[in-house]
Amino acid sequence: MVALLKERDAGAFSYLYDNYAAALNSIVRSFIPDEQLANSVLQDSFVKIWNQASTFDSVRGRLFTWMSSIVRNTAIDTLRSKDWKNSRQNVELTDRNNEIAADDLLNIDAIGLRKVVNSLREEYKTVVEMCYFEGFTQNDIAETTGIPLGTVKTRLRKALIELRSRISNT
Amino acid sequence: MNIKEYIQSGIIESYVLGLADAEERAELEQLRMQHPEIGQAIQAFEKELEASASRNAVPVNPDVKANLFDQLGLKLNEEHSSGTEEPTVIPLERRGTTPFIKYLAAASVILFVISAAFNLYTYNKYKDLEAENRQLALQRDQLYAHNNTMQTKLDEMDKNMQLITGPDMIKVALSGVAGKESSQAVVYWDKNNKDVYLVAKALPQAPKGKQYQLWALMDGKPIDAGVLGNCNTICKLKNIQHAQAFAITLENEGGSPAPNLEQLYVMGKI
Repeated sequence: MVALLKERDAGAFSYLYDNYAAALNSIVRSFIPDEQLANSVLQDSFVKIWNQASTFDSVRGRLFTWMSSIVRNTAIDTLRSKDWKNSRQNVELTDRNNEIAADDLLNIDAIGLRKVVNSLREEYKTVVEMCYFEGFTQNDIAETTGIPLGTVKTRLRKALIELRSRISNT
Repeated sequence: MNIKEYIQSGIIESYVLGLADAEERAELEQLRMQHPEIGQAIQAFEKELEASASRNAVPVNPDVKANLFDQLGLKLNEEHSSGTEEPTVIPLERRGTTPFIKYLAAASVILFVISAAFNLYTYNKYKDLEAENRQLALQRDQLYAHNNTMQTKLDEMDKNMQLITGPDMIKVALSGVAGKESSQAVVYWDKNNKDVYLVAKALPQAPKGKQYQLWALMDGKPIDAGVLGNCNTICKLKNIQHAQAFAITLENEGGSPAPNLEQLYVMGKI
């Protein structure tokens, strides 16, 4: 399967899509509830999966993990892109309060990992939100929030352990 | 370092989700090579994430796949998009093997026809030769038979020749009498054993119911010397002890006790 994919076998790619698109879509939707934009992100993700298949190394991890990583990066890149920010600015006010309000609005429809993250206590939620969903490095977070790097690391790990225990129940 | 504590520290989750920084990743990958349980822990969390995503799967509009394949310039197999995951069965190209069998069949039919024609020709030839052979065998048998006949005749001729050229043989020429001049006959008479032989050189064909009869004449008296039967060339007749002349008359079939002198044909003196 992986070998065929690396040889750019369209049949294998079609099989891969049929088997994983819906599961990967749940990850996309945890970043982007909007169906139209999510579909675009999913499509872009599969374009990258197709083009970068040769770089996948089964020794380092599972195929699904590798694809999840591509989906996450694509979603973050899309959210950071100007078009998205501009369209968002057109709809909402730019001040911090309104942004938070918008986040709360999104949370109503939150699914998958996002839903679990939202259930975490605030200090865990913030670090996971920034790190996983917004793509900040732990260094970035320490600098942005003023929290020492060691504390950020500890919080993130504890948050993830908590997250994992809750994922099992979803 | 306590590996169990390390595994439970949250680094596995951080690494798998792609949140660990470069320093953390390097440390984990180095430890992973020394401790297989780290790899197992990574796998376990990967499976949990995959299972969770599958449970929370969000169906995708079919247009996405169509657009995706269109964008990549790939041909979209409808069977895959409809959800069936069976691999496409591509029928084997049979054109490669079929013609060979067809040619083989055609060749065998042609060979059969040629063979049948040749067999028919050979059979007819055989029949002709057999008939010819039978004909030749028949001719050979006929020739053998003919040869035997000739051999018998030759033997007889030889015997007769030996007989008439014997040193004790008296030859008596019988000439045609007045009115029967064309008739001729010769009598051979053995002086020793008194056997009489006759060669009818020229005698008319005896009419039906009539036979020629030879007479020996002694002192004016005729002695019956027998009738001419169906004999070839030389006819052996009756033994005659004494004779001065011989004569032939035409008598009734079976011969007569006394000659009918009016029917005298030839006569000769010794």
